[in-house]
Amino acid sequence: MEERRKKIEFDALVIGAGIAGGETALNIANNGYKVLLVEKDHSIGGKMILLSKVFPTLDCAACITTPKVSEIARHPNITVFTESEVTSIVKKTESLFIAKITKNPRYVHVEDCTACQLCEKACPVSVRDEYQFGLVGRKAAYIPFSIANPKAAVIDLEQCTLCGACERVCPTHCIDFTMETECFELQVKTVVLATGFQLFDPLKIPRFGYGKYKNVVTSMQMEREIAPTRPYHTILRPGDGKIPDQIAYVLCTGSRDDSVGNPVCSQVCCMYSMKQAQLLMGALPMADITIYYIDIRSFGKGFEEFYQQAKDMGVNFVKGKIGKISEKENGNLILRYEDIQEGIVKEAEHDMVVLSVGMLSNQSVHQIFDGEMLQFDSLNFIWQSDLLGSPAKTNIDGVFVAGTASGPMDIPDSILSAGSASSEAISYLIQH
Amino acid sequence: MEAEIGKTAKYLRDKQGIPEKAKENLKEFVRIKKALIDALKNGEMTIPQLSEKLSMSKEDVTFYLMTLIKYGDVAVGEIDDNDEYFTYKLNK
Repeated sequence: MEERRKKIEFDALVIGAGIAGGETALNIANNGYKVLLVEKDHSIGGKMILLSKVFPTLDCAACITTPKVSEIARHPNITVFTESEVTSIVKKTESLFIAKITKNPRYVHVEDCTACQLCEKACPVSVRDEYQFGLVGRKAAYIPFSIANPKAAVIDLEQCTLCGACERVCPTHCIDFTMETECFELQVKTVVLATGFQLFDPLKIPRFGYGKYKNVVTSMQMEREIAPTRPYHTILRPGDGKIPDQIAYVLCTGSRDDSVGNPVCSQVCCMYSMKQAQLLMGALPMADITIYYIDIRSFGKGFEEFYQQAKDMGVNFVKGKIGKISEKENGNLILRYEDIQEGIVKEAEHDMVVLSVGMLSNQSVHQIFDGEMLQFDSLNFIWQSDLLGSPAKTNIDGVFVAGTASGPMDIPDSILSAGSASSEAISYLIQH
Repeated sequence: MEAEIGKTAKYLRDKQGIPEKAKENLKEFVRIKKALIDALKNGEMTIPQLSEKLSMSKEDVTFYLMTLIKYGDVAVGEIDDNDEYFTYKLNK
């Protein structure tokens, strides 16, 4: 394996091509440095590219993300590796890191694929679409999603029956099942960690019934339902295809909850729930939306006005902590909750429940540093060694952190954090 | 063994075989797709009606029906009088 490792050289390595990693790569590349941007997924754009709209402006998320990912993909100083993972990094000297990278096969030559989708039509296989959070199917030969970048097919080899139908219809012969994993050894002067966050898995709270009651969904599933590239033709209950008209949001699912190991606020759930509530009221004018909350944290610019706007539109806010959710025979859900203001336990019926899941650390980079020990905070986010003076610095000189890899934050703060990380990385490159 | 352009799936199939899970999954999808399409040949139906006719859970009917809409096999019909359920029909 070592002999077959291809040697490559760049000025900066950015790990993670979400909005923070992409912004960092662009800033560094715009200053004339060569950047390798490594992404484990099939597309760059991270979680933001899958959102419907952003708060508090209600701008279309795709309209912001798409030009940015296009600029990243076309930038002469940025090389993008998708389906790739950094497996180890060793700091050799002050200005030399050696990183090992594994690039998994896509089984499609991206440069030849025209995204005509003929392979997708020909493929007989259907599995759950992870980009629609399991709400609908996709083929084994598929374009990840309509605004994916690179917009090229990918073959899911685990689900593929190797029937060859995709190859037979491909007009450019870009499908190639002989592709193999490639290994690279990268020499680089600085590293930026932009590995983002993981969403809380609500299966860890069985009393909320996620996975068991099909009309209990996560906020990302609802996000997909209200996006223009939605899984269904309109907003429907996944349990029976009924149009919902009594939707409840359960805030702080997996946040501010010591019992699930995450005692802190995820900073975005109040606001994205209000955003979704407003969008739902536009899409389903007859629907009643209720948000069950512990505290509303509308701390950012324009956030309080956004909260007032949601109330003015008729969103019902109930200061209540949900104890248990149970299901009726017709698929409706009974929420048993403590009404915090009245101090009594109540029950309410809704026909769909959205769990506003929180943000957890992504621990994918925890073990990649050899020799030097990257430090983490008590919640396993990357530790910022000089939070006030130099917030992008980690405990390893020359390694910086951008976006939610350092803690929960919203999109504007992620972009600000990326600005800070890129400035620090450029400064480091100039000094070394 | 050299793989011929346009026939590399065969090369890999000969080399490593077909995953059992993939075969099972394909069989299941083909069976459900046929059942749904056959049921819709008699006219438009809602998800609860399809669920009852096919003795299949409403959740599974919803998932597979939405998938068939995405693939272009099924189209959306009218909404019922209570504004609750749509009907679905074959896409001709």
